[in-house]
This record gives sequence, C-alpha cells and structure tokens, in this order.
Amino acid sequence: MLSVRDLHVSFNQNEILKGIDLTVNKGDVVTLIGPSGTGKTTLLRCMNCLEKPSKGEITLSDLHFNYETISKKDILQLRRRTAMVFQQFNLFKNKTVLENVMEAQMVVQGKKKKDAYEKSIEELEKVGLLDKLQSYPSELSGGQQQRVSIARALAVEPEVILFDEPTSALDPELVGEVLKVIEDVARSGVTIVLVTHEMSFAKRISTKVVFMDKGVIVEEGTPKYIFEESENARTKAFLNHFNSNQTVEA
Amino acid sequence: MDIGYMVEIFPKLIATLPITLSIIITSAILGLLLSIGVTALRIKKIKFLSPILEAYISFMRSVPILLLLFIVYYGLPVFFSLLNLDINDLSGIVAAMITLIIFNGAYLSEILRPAYLAIDKGQHEAANSLGYTPFAKFRKIVVPQMAPIALPGLGNAVIYLIHDTSLVFTIGVVDILGKANLILASSYGENKVEVYLTIALIYWGLCLLSDRLVKFFENHTYISKIQKRRMFGSKFGKGNIQSHSD
Repeated sequence: MLSVRDLHVSFNQNEILKGIDLTVNKGDVVTLIGPSGTGKTTLLRCMNCLEKPSKGEITLSDLHFNYETISKKDILQLRRRTAMVFQQFNLFKNKTVLENVMEAQMVVQGKKKKDAYEKSIEELEKVGLLDKLQSYPSELSGGQQQRVSIARALAVEPEVILFDEPTSALDPELVGEVLKVIEDVARSGVTIVLVTHEMSFAKRISTKVVFMDKGVIVEEGTPKYIFEESENARTKAFLNHFNSNQTVEA
Repeated sequence: MDIGYMVEIFPKLIATLPITLSIIITSAILGLLLSIGVTALRIKKIKFLSPILEAYISFMRSVPILLLLFIVYYGLPVFFSLLNLDINDLSGIVAAMITLIIFNGAYLSEILRPAYLAIDKGQHEAANSLGYTPFAKFRKIVVPQMAPIALPGLGNAVIYLIHDTSLVFTIGVVDILGKANLILASSYGENKVEVYLTIALIYWGLCLLSDRLVKFFENHTYISKIQKRRMFGSKFGKGNIQSHSD
C-alpha cells in the first residue's frame, strides 16, 4: 500500500539515506529501529515530504511519485492521505484541544463543523481526553499533548499514520499512557509506521520490524525473527547494546 | 491662559482632522501591506533581492522622517520628469502618504520579521504534514501566533505614525498644525500656548483611540484567552461546546 524505492537523502553532501526500499501493507505496524543518526526519522519524514529526497520513488495506494519530479500539488495530495505524530507533539499552540483535532478536517478536508466536531469527540474519547476539550496545549502535560496529537492524526482518517519517536520527549512516568493509546490504535487496524527506541513495545505490537544502520536497511522481519532469531552481527550487536544499557539503567 | 479661546478655536482645528486621519489610515493600511510583502521577500532570502531590501530598510530607518518627506515632495516630480511624466501638481497630502507608506513598509517589517521567526518550526511542520495549503497555514496558524508578538510593536508604530503626520504642514498641507499656523498668523502670534495646547490634546485623543484599537486586538489573541482562563478558572470559555455543534 505504501512503498518507497531506492530512496536517497543527502544533507550538504552528507548522505543520510543510501538507497532504501521499504514496503508497508495495509494494516501493518512497521517499526523502524536502529542506532541514533541512522536515518530512521529522515525516512519517516520522506514519506510525508517533510524531507526532500535527492532520488527515489514513493507509492501510496493509487498515488505514485518520483521525488525528483514531485510537484507541490502532489505533495499536498500525499500529505492529505498520511498523518504524522511528532516527537515534540507540535500541537497548534493557538488552538484548544478540540480545535486542534477539528481544524484539519474543516480546513483541509472541507468537512462541515458539525461533522468535524462529532469525529473529534469520537477520537478524543479514544485517547481519554474528553475532559480537556477547551484546554490549550500549554495547559496539558506532555503525555496529554501527545494523546491529543494522536487524536488529531486519527481524525483525518489517513491511510497511514507516521509516528516519529512519540515517547522520546516524555517524562518516564508519562510514557505508558501514550504507548497504551498507540497500542489501541495499532490493534484497531490502522496502518502504522513507527520509529521508536521502546524495544519491548516494538516487539509486542509490530507486524514487521526494520533494523537500520548507517543509512541502509540491514534486515527486516517479524519481531520474533529480529529480536530472537537473527544471526546478523550488526542486529545482534545493537540489541545486545540496548539490553545491557537497559539493565544498567534499571 | 485663556480657556475660552481654546474652546473657540477647537472646532476650527478639529475641522482639519479628516486630512490627518486620511493620511494616518491610508499610510497605516498600505504601509502594513507593503511591510508584509517586504517581510515575505526577506524571509524567502532571494539572492539578488535580499541586499536591496536590507539597503532599503537601513535607509528608511536612518533618514529623519522630515527629510524623507522633503525628498519625496520635491524629488518625485524631478524623478518623474526624467521619465517624461509631469506630476508637478503632486499634492502635499499624496506626498505625505507616499512618504509614510514607504517608511512604514520598512519599519513595520522590522516588527513582523522577528514575530514570524519566533514561530516554532514544529508548528509549520504540523500544518504541512496535515496538508494545509500555504495560505491556510498562514491564516490559521501563522497570523494568530504572530499577533501577540507583533501587536505591541505595531501599536507603538501607529503612535509614531500619528506623530509623524504633524510634519506635513511643512510642505504646505493644511492639517491641524497648518491650520494653527494660519490662526496664529491672523492673530499676530497671540495665544500661542493655547493653540499648541489644544493641538496637543487632540493628538492625545487620537493616540488614546489607537491604543483602544490595539488593546481590542490584543484581547483577542490566543495568549490573552489562555491568561483569562488562568485568571478566571477553566469555567471561562467553557459552555461554548454546544456552539461547535450548531
């Protein structure tokens, strides 16, 4: 349903992604893992055209674009059928919780206010924030803000939701509430691409795990394969490093 | 001091207010539009245009407004005659408007640009990721977030603009000060203090009005709404949930 082919991204001659091929099927929960600075977030942002690749192609259902020739109109189309949840939440500061969830439906999709309102209430109920409708983002905790931003993404009924390290900016005690909401979303059949450092979470909810290192996909497979059966030296080194780190922290 | 005389000349002076007001309003609106254009071009950092715009702004901020007024009033007809166009009957009012528009185009841009740059990159990305058109993003996100930052500066700029209009009598426009000079000439310079004090009160009134207007806008920014919620509790602004479903 969503796929990228031969994706290359460079920042100032520095090649971040060196030819990525990735396919996401409908209903998939694809998790991108790997060391920091590997290009996981960049790959995710390319799917939403927040980053412009120097070369490559993207397919989303019936849309098919070459990044070298993609027009502003194409980008708009692509963005209107995907949604992004950011590490820093990025809720609109000048809008209340309700307005944040309602607005894209009206401004981008041209929905009537009443329909947008009903849809927003439905999504905000899912993330458990019906009591905060009139609050502004600055009045919420990080965990609450991230839940609103998930509701905002769900409300536009995208074909795929892109999660960019959604819990990395949260206080440790708030991580759980957000992961639970993401898990509910995943279980409801929404297609997800997720960048995360929460390994046990990735293992639990993913249908496919993609291990990236130094701008390439090293290997991909089921969570069971990547986390338990892989014989690849880089994968094992990364996961071992991660496990030992977690033990130290604990 | 002769209060009675002040009351007597007040209607004569206030009769010229439409001239002053028309200069203020025209210059404020067109100056603001020009500054929005200038700011947009500066932010886009167009290679050849940027140094020209920076030079324009630097010049406008450096030259005293009185001098600028003379340059426009005496210079424009000369400039146009080089193009074989005759605008020798350029009126003082139009010259004053042009001067204040090109001045404010630069000056207001120095207020708008930092306000724009203060908006978090994430706010742009969120709107982009949802597929907002540039105009929708500008209207719904950028302007409302710039407003609380820019409004105090814009309010001051309006006050300066009001002050600057007092210079137009120097190129023969019969505004309030121009009228005052006529009154003083006919009374052989008597009651100078009364005349100038009356004018001062009129300018004070104009500035109070403009303050009110700016305060009105400031009270409608999102920052002010959040502050009110904090002061009056979360009750404020609630209850309009219904209004969203109508």
